[in-house]
Amino acid sequence: MFGLFRPSSPLSGGLLWKRPWRMSSPQKLRHRLRLRAVDSVVATVDAALTRQGLVTKNVERWKNEMPTEAEMLPKDKYTMFDRKERRYRKGVHKLPKWTRVSQRLNPPGF
Amino acid sequence: MPYFRITLLRSAIGLPARTTGVLHALGLKKRMTTVYQPVSRDIAGMIMKVKELVDVQEVEERRTKAEMKELRRPDPGFYIEKRASAAP
Repeated sequence: MFGLFRPSSPLSGGLLWKRPWRMSSPQKLRHRLRLRAVDSVVATVDAALTRQGLVTKNVERWKNEMPTEAEMLPKDKYTMFDRKERRYRKGVHKLPKWTRVSQRLNPPGF
Repeated sequence: MPYFRITLLRSAIGLPARTTGVLHALGLKKRMTTVYQPVSRDIAGMIMKVKELVDVQEVEERRTKAEMKELRRPDPGFYIEKRASAAP
C-alpha cells in the first residue's frame, strides 16, 4: 500500500493529467494578486481620465458592475457557476485561460 | 501632457485574435515592451480590453527607447580620475 509501487491513479491508469477539483492555497494567493493587479490598472486609468475631465463608458461600466477583489466573496473568487456541475459550482481554475480573463460575476442565487 | 506608460506583462497567445489586434494597435508586440500613449478616451478603452495583460502607470513625460535603456544601465562601480592620455 505504501512506497514506490503504491496503487495511485497515475500508476494504475498510466498517463493522468487532471486538474484538481479545488485550487491550492498558493494558487489562490496568486489569483488574488492577479485580481488586485486588474483592479489597480482600472483605478489608474480612471484616475488619469478624471484628471483630464474625461469619462469613458467602458471604465464607468466596470466600476459600477464589477466588485473589486476586496469586495468579492471567497465563493465568487475561487469558484464559478456551471450549470452542468453538481451544486452548480466549479473551481475558477477550470475556466480556459483563467489567469488571463476576468471572471467575477455569477448568476444571482447560485 | 500626461501619458499612460503601458507594459505588456502577459502574452496574448491563445487568446482571441482581437486581443492581439488591440495590443498591436497600442504598439505592444512582445512581452515586457513599454510604450507611452497619451491619456485619452480611446486609449483608455483599448487598455480596458487588455487590462489582464498589461501594467499601466500615469506619467507626465514620455521617454524614448534610448532613455529607458539608459535608466536600466547599472552603476559601473568605478569612476575615472584621470585619462591615460592626459597623464604625464
